[in-house]
Amino acid sequence: MENQFFLNAGIPPPARPLHFGPSLSSPMPAWQSLSSAMEIQVTEMNCSPDQSQDCFLNPHWEKSTDYGLQFDSALSSMVSSPAASNSNISNESFMIRELIGKLGSIGNSGEISPHSQPLLASYLNGPNSTNTSGYSTPLNSPPKLSLPMMDSLVKEKLPSLEKSMGLNSSVAEFSADPGFAERAAKFSCFGSKSFNGRTSQFGLNNNNEIAAYRSNPLRADTKLPRVSSSPSLKAMGSQVGGVQGANKNSPLKDRSELANSQEESTVSEQNPNGDPGLKASKDLTSRKRKAVPKAKTKETSASPSANAAKVHDPNEESNEKRCKSTESNGNENGSVKAEEEAKGSNGNAGDEKQNKTNNNNTKPPEPPKDYIHVRARRGQATDSHSLAERVRREKISERMKLLQNLVPGCNKVTGKALMLDEIINYVQSLQRQVEFLSMKLASVNTRLDFNVDSLMSKDIFQSNTTLPHPIFPIDSSSASAFFGHQPQQNPALHSNLSSGTMTQCSVDPLDTAICPNLNTHLPPINQFAQIVPQYPTFCEGDLQTVVQMGYGQNPSQEMAIQSENLQGSNQVSHMKVEL
Amino acid sequence: MSPHHLNPSSLKSRFTTRFLRALTNINAQNPISSSSPREILQRYRRIKVAADKSMAYSVRSRRTWSRAMRWKLRSRSWRQASSVRRLKITTTCHQAIMKKTAHERESKTTTGEEVGFGVQTDGLRELVPGGEAMDICNLLDETAHYIKCLTTQVQREQIAS
Repeated sequence: MENQFFLNAGIPPPARPLHFGPSLSSPMPAWQSLSSAMEIQVTEMNCSPDQSQDCFLNPHWEKSTDYGLQFDSALSSMVSSPAASNSNISNESFMIRELIGKLGSIGNSGEISPHSQPLLASYLNGPNSTNTSGYSTPLNSPPKLSLPMMDSLVKEKLPSLEKSMGLNSSVAEFSADPGFAERAAKFSCFGSKSFNGRTSQFGLNNNNEIAAYRSNPLRADTKLPRVSSSPSLKAMGSQVGGVQGANKNSPLKDRSELANSQEESTVSEQNPNGDPGLKASKDLTSRKRKAVPKAKTKETSASPSANAAKVHDPNEESNEKRCKSTESNGNENGSVKAEEEAKGSNGNAGDEKQNKTNNNNTKPPEPPKDYIHVRARRGQATDSHSLAERVRREKISERMKLLQNLVPGCNKVTGKALMLDEIINYVQSLQRQVEFLSMKLASVNTRLDFNVDSLMSKDIFQSNTTLPHPIFPIDSSSASAFFGHQPQQNPALHSNLSSGTMTQCSVDPLDTAICPNLNTHLPPINQFAQIVPQYPTFCEGDLQTVVQMGYGQNPSQEMAIQSENLQGSNQVSHMKVEL
Repeated sequence: MSPHHLNPSSLKSRFTTRFLRALTNINAQNPISSSSPREILQRYRRIKVAADKSMAYSVRSRRTWSRAMRWKLRSRSWRQASSVRRLKITTTCHQAIMKKTAHERESKTTTGEEVGFGVQTDGLRELVPGGEAMDICNLLDETAHYIKCLTTQVQREQIAS
């Protein structure tokens, strides 16, 4: 059987006879399909493009013959655990993770636990971390990793591991092999990215992984590439934790509600299966998930640094750097940050779990941050920079659409450059209008008693009267030009009106006068519309005559107004030229 | 009116009341005598300032452009008060702020921010008060709000005139 497995993986079977019992027959086909599935998944993952995309299981089984016993124990445990899960991918990947866990836990039998734990933790780091360089130090530092978990594992495998005491050396060389480190890192990258490292603790989180991973394929069966860069999985992971820990759900769910509510709903639908088995580990996992979102804030960057003394340093350093570097970015990168930090803190998850169980009991969960979680789309680059850029671009395009709605006549214009030109023109025209109107107000002498109510009522008139304007025949093709100078036409009309009706000092009669006067001025506006294209050629004197033609009013009274009208309308003409 | 305007009774009414108050003050201060162009120009400037001020104050510093406009108006009034020391302080402060924000903007652009807009954003920055200090995203936001307030201002002034 192991021969079959190895052949599938393309590796020669170990020389040492493997003690595969008949109970292992059932998972063997799963192993085979598992290896192929791993291959597929690993190749699809973009997590470590620089590393080879071989099957994770390929490289190192051939290098040491002592791995057979590890297989034995691993497979035995894997037989026991995946019995609950039925889905294919969850089984396979779960068993892979089991394997790694058991392999790491094999070292727990002796005094290898301090070595294997940091190794595992270092394996779980993302591709960014320097796993190869970190291997020396983990062997030296005795971390206080999730010992209860490993204790349980150890108890499981004690009978089988007694014979593996001789594996100390093998584990050492197993661990020291940088190639295996790469593979493990790659796999951990895959695993961590799929779970965002939340369920990476093998022993305790078996059921979590089942649930989480089951939800994964249910949600995105063919979209595993999306897994690599999706902080939504972090949300999923947090959701898994949130589902698990009922009593700790409230703070957790606050944070998980930060993430996409859609994903929450999808995940929560699928999670109930994993509920029964999850309660046992909910404490630690919930702590862990609290820890990871906390990593977003600077406080948690301090806490990993606080734990750095207990845990191997290089991983912590890399995580710290990642935390700090990501925090230095803007909030738009928050999603990317969170993802990176989750990856980075995977290795610390086990380390920090024990520490944080004590810490997080006292600390309330921090207020949710305003992160926008982005899911990388299929076929798109998934690194953090491109994600952040995509978020930026979407923001900018959304705002451009808003501006398009504000600026009249921008619907036909496509492209950012043209849109920006239109917007600039419109803002300039608005500013000039304000100037023109204030000039007009400065010249109007008789408006002494301003009535706010009348102004409010005029507002209604104004809003009504703006509607018929588009009906006017427009010679020029640009309606925006017409809109641009239409308000100038109206003030001219109004000023002429007011000058013509000097006796009507109060505003109120003008209320009633405006509407009919506007109606009477509609035909003249047609004339104006025809005159519009000729505006650029007008000089000041011509404008006066035009106005007089339009209204036939007392020219003497209009002189004062037109003098200041001209200043405004020259600007208007310039504006029209631009338009 | 576009549907996403502010509550019509809030921005518009605020602007209207302030503007009217300013106008009455100006009218009271300078009784309209003759319509010589110079006086008209003076009044025009005052009214324009009043309009800008009333708009900026009715937005209540919620927006960057309103803050920038208020700052501008205040510095202008200080300048007119002809206090040389105050003028120096204000100008140096302003220059420092502008430099700092320019640096921030440059650093933001160099961090891989999308530079598809380049030239046109400079024009927009000149137009929108306080636009030099913002990145594209916020600049577009401020522009939208500024356009909205400008249209309000224009409408009110049209009615008032």
